[in-house]
Amino acid sequence: MVEPEDNVATALREIEAGETLEVAVGDSTVTVEALADVEFGHKIALEEIPAGETIVKYGKSIGNATEDIDAGAWVHVHNVESNYGRGDLAADEAEAEA
Amino acid sequence: MSEFLGYERDDGSVGIRNHVAIISTAPYANDTVKRAAEITENTVPITHPLGRCQTKPDVFQTYRTLLGYGTHPNVYGTVVVAHAGEIVDGDELASDVAETGRPSASINIHEEKGVMNALQATVNAAQEMVLDASDQRRVPADYSNLTFGINCATSDTTSGLCQHKATAKAVWRLIDDHGGRGVFAETAEFFGGEHELAERAVNDDVKQEVLDRVEHWDQRLKDTGYDVRGAQPTPDNMDGGLTTIEEKSLGALVKSGNGPIQDIVDYGAKIPGDSGMYIMDTPGHGAESVTGIGAGGAHFMVISTGQGHTLSNAIMPTIKITGNPNSRERVPEETDVDVSEALVGDEDYDWAADQLWDNLTRIVDGKLTMSEALGESQFAIHRIGPST
Repeated sequence: MVEPEDNVATALREIEAGETLEVAVGDSTVTVEALADVEFGHKIALEEIPAGETIVKYGKSIGNATEDIDAGAWVHVHNVESNYGRGDLAADEAEAEA
Repeated sequence: MSEFLGYERDDGSVGIRNHVAIISTAPYANDTVKRAAEITENTVPITHPLGRCQTKPDVFQTYRTLLGYGTHPNVYGTVVVAHAGEIVDGDELASDVAETGRPSASINIHEEKGVMNALQATVNAAQEMVLDASDQRRVPADYSNLTFGINCATSDTTSGLCQHKATAKAVWRLIDDHGGRGVFAETAEFFGGEHELAERAVNDDVKQEVLDRVEHWDQRLKDTGYDVRGAQPTPDNMDGGLTTIEEKSLGALVKSGNGPIQDIVDYGAKIPGDSGMYIMDTPGHGAESVTGIGAGGAHFMVISTGQGHTLSNAIMPTIKITGNPNSRERVPEETDVDVSEALVGDEDYDWAADQLWDNLTRIVDGKLTMSEALGESQFAIHRIGPST
């Protein structure tokens, strides 16, 4: 259920750090070692994602990496930010212009 | 064409329930409405903090929403209770209800000279309607009469992967196979998926309207000066693994399937009569979006939940479906349909859609939902601007 463009996958069971995971991505299989425990429903990086790069799920952007993310790392609110509803950025821009 | 058993109305609609609604027009009539509903069996109290000291856009929205409930296909008759002269006018509301051929009554606390007299008058009117409603029988009606509401609740990463797929298959079964209608909402949860959604519009006007309304929501959030995270995704969404509003949105849109979008309507507005899928412009706040869709006249609503939810509506039965194997344990008395075997077991999404369809057809014919059996209901009209 991972689209070929996706760089993250969703855990459908509890994953423990150190586990080697084989994830079906499109027609091929990606192998990653989990770097952290990942809870059911949370995401794991399938490849290295540099800071500022797009996080891709469902074949679409779900936000940007706020730091360099290693393959196998847990991907969540600590290392990803949204591009919508960013009143904080709009306020910063308004302040910079003033 | 398949048939269900429903209650025929003079306005041509067919209900799947036969409620008597007691509707408050302002906070100062809420207590009278609640007390009258406690005294009179088989009535549904509709109370809210609005209807007074509101700007015009909110007045129209409050009125439209209350009228939507007073004239809902599942409503036999309506008693309107006002406090005094209000900008949301009780007599006008009762008169507009009566236009649809439904029994209606208008009670005004000031005109009755007090809350005790108003309570007596409300109970008298409601009791007469309840007796008459109980004398009406269900009759066979075509499935094309039905409007299928859909909403998410406490989404997690299972939502877009599993239960939303079952919900999408079921709503398109009603539209494509039976000529019915579907409606989904939560415009503020289209972020990131709005361009693909807009491409599904039946014409360029609807396409542009979808994009404009999504942009409007992003602007409203930007105008707050704060990052929306924490409000969207919510803390329970984040616990479930959803990281950003885009991720939540892309999952949320799965429940609407892939078929054409006929139109996008205002909050609380009646869903048009032609078969097809519609959008109602609402926030992602579940109680507010569900209240809006109920006002739009959806006969029932499938609430596709990840982590489990109590979200429900007394007039429009809410059927909760989950694909998260942990959710039935978390809120067992709120889960109508568990399709987690399609996610973590050997079943597929066609099986999941069949489970949902089988359940909802029985609920349409009169079986109670889990939340109906518990008497659960929330009512929250979305507001646009400040109180004045």
